[in-house]
Amino acid sequence: MRYLKLGSRNIDEFLGRISNYGDLYAPQKISEKFYDYRKVEDISQVEFNYNRTITPAKKYFIPPKHEMFEFDMETGEYTETMGDVKPFVLFGLHACSIVALRILDGVYLNEYPDKYYAARRKAGIIIGISCLPDEYCFCNLRRTDFVDIGFDLFLHELPDGYLIRVGSERGHEIVDENMDIFEEVSNDDIENFKKFEKKRHEMFKYEGSFDNLRYILELTENSPLWDEESEKCLGCGNCTMTCPTCRCYDVQDLPDIDGKHGKRIRFWDSCQFRSHGLVAGGHNFRETKKDRFINRYVCKNAYFYPLGTSYCVGCGNCTYFCPAGIDFLKNLIKIRDVVGEVAHGEQ
Amino acid sequence: MESSDNVYSLYKCRLLRVYSLTDEEKLFLLRFEDSDIAESWSFIPGQFVQVALPGVGEVPISICSSPMRRGFFELCIKKVGKVTSMIHKLQPGDCVGIRGPYGNGFPMDEFEHSDILLIAAGIGMVPLRSVFMYAVDNRWKFGNITVINSARYGDKLLFRKELEAMRDIAEAENIKIIQTVTRDPEWPGRVGRAQEHIKDANTDPKNSCVAVCGPPQAYRSIFEKLIEAGYDPNKIYVTLERRMKCGVGKCGHCIAGSSTFLKYICIDGPVFGYYDIISTPGLI
Ligand SMILES: Cc1cc2nc3c(=O)[nH]c(=O)nc-3n(C[C@H](O)[C@H](O)[C@H](O)COP(=O)(O)OP(=O)(O)OC[C@H]3O[C@@H](n4cnc5c(N)ncnc54)[C@H](O)[C@@H]3O)c2cc1C
Ligand code: SF4
Ligand code: SF4
Ligand code: FES
Repeated sequence: MRYLKLGSRNIDEFLGRISNYGDLYAPQKISEKFYDYRKVEDISQVEFNYNRTITPAKKYFIPPKHEMFEFDMETGEYTETMGDVKPFVLFGLHACSIVALRILDGVYLNEYPDKYYAARRKAGIIIGISCLPDEYCFCNLRRTDFVDIGFDLFLHELPDGYLIRVGSERGHEIVDENMDIFEEVSNDDIENFKKFEKKRHEMFKYEGSFDNLRYILELTENSPLWDEESEKCLGCGNCTMTCPTCRCYDVQDLPDIDGKHGKRIRFWDSCQFRSHGLVAGGHNFRETKKDRFINRYVCKNAYFYPLGTSYCVGCGNCTYFCPAGIDFLKNLIKIRDVVGEVAHGEQ
Repeated sequence: MESSDNVYSLYKCRLLRVYSLTDEEKLFLLRFEDSDIAESWSFIPGQFVQVALPGVGEVPISICSSPMRRGFFELCIKKVGKVTSMIHKLQPGDCVGIRGPYGNGFPMDEFEHSDILLIAAGIGMVPLRSVFMYAVDNRWKFGNITVINSARYGDKLLFRKELEAMRDIAEAENIKIIQTVTRDPEWPGRVGRAQEHIKDANTDPKNSCVAVCGPPQAYRSIFEKLIEAGYDPNKIYVTLERRMKCGVGKCGHCIAGSSTFLKYICIDGPVFGYYDIISTPGLI
């Protein structure tokens, strides 16, 4: 891998330079408590130290609502509408967010590639940044706390700037075109990088691995925990909307007022909504709130084979943003550690 | 016509024939408008298409004809809601949008050189008709064939007349057709659920592939009867249904199964094997 150093004095210049590659989006403080990715109008607003954003980076690749086609009801034709996809730079993603995008790649760019997603993914430059965990983070248990690929550049905090890893051809190009603002990495920088990594590692609340969790989960689907916890759930869908890897969507054909034309749109959906599993005739594949609640735990803890991780990257968003105070991680730990309350198959 | 690099692009198909099978189900014969697509389009029995009506929506529907007939295909659609009701109003000459085919379909290669037992309940006859027609079109590739078609009432048996009309050819070709109803006192033929007639099939349990399609609640008891009769669990296949929006593993609606076996019914299915079903909570 290619390493470089960006000194503190060049950070603003760096942000200015990368915004030459497209519209710059970065985490910004939007209220007393919250951060979110926003378009950067003023680089002093860019936030380097934040724990989580209220919307995940997926929104730049699967917009919360967008047009897929325009249709003509008389001819029966659908015409593709790609929208205005311009080059953009997404700055400040944490490791877990980058792994999350790679999980979305696995879903959206499989044997049936999604053109809308692919175009936005191609247009987006990804610049990662190191972070320190808070009490909600458990990416280490998911093995997503350090990322090898999926970014163009990755910045690791040093006392006097950042150590940069170059992760793609585009990353090399950006670096080559701006060599005047970078320096070589010194031995001190390497020591400081190691110190940061060590400190970060020690800050995680839990140690170990969740690799056996999906089996234990499957074996304890009759645990009373599901009744107790799902009882509290409001079915609001915050947990899935803020999850960086949840990507369920719904599609609707909306006719214009002329009654002749219209638009096919798609928009984020949530498995926590009653309508998600509802089919014609009133049958629902996830009838009760408990069914829907368990569904999210099952889905997020399932293995995503192409990456060898679970669909959950351990960001903690679903817990942090849950208005009912439901703690995803605590529930998983309870499930993992109190094995076999009621065995699988018994009712 | 859209360029085909968009997986959600719809291809225009013209309805050539609309035929009422029951008071709720209609059979539609369709043809692609674009000759290149008509030439190249093919599918496997058990696969489905997304059928779209601009301004109304899109629904997954199994293909019920034999893939041997190029450029043309048939859909049997039950009127149940918004989109299907509008489709029922269409006349020959009208157009719909089609994309697909999707799903894995039945492993027809594996079915070759064995007997075939098809067990359908209600609308389940739709995908199995495709398997059946394909087997008849390639008669020499398969052994004995039995179709068990079941419904609550005689006039709800899908493709009843077509199957009755095949009696002569069936006799000559070692094909057994069993049609049975569960609730119809007027029905002159066989009564009882499909699984109660497995014993009368002309298929050799030791060398048969079985395809089952119906309400999933019936699957466990059908499995029991099949295994009791000596059929190989490894060669029993069923189809599953879920709400679907994309058909290509994106929208997440059809996800089912458990954390060790999470499946998209649209791309990993809709056909699943016996062992997948019994080892995965939540599939049926
Ligand atoms: C793989 C597969 C194959 C199918 N094959 C057939 C067939 O051959 N013939 C047939 O008549 N029906 C079939 N169905 C069921 C058919 O898709 C539904 O009856 C249809 O979607 C109902 O749509 P609607 O708009 O009329 O109903 P509404 O209740 O108005 O439904 C609104 C929307 O919800 C979704 N939806 C509702 N019910 C279902 C459902 N059961 N499955 C999937 N999505 C649903 C659709 O996107 C639909 O547009 C199949 C379903 C699947 C999953
Ligand atoms: S955020 Fe909390 S209350 Fe809302 S649906 Fe998710 S678990 Fe339920
Ligand atoms: S399930 Fe919760 S912790 Fe896991 S990735 Fe989604 S939001 Fe983050
Ligand atoms: S129908 Fe959309 S994921 Fe299967």
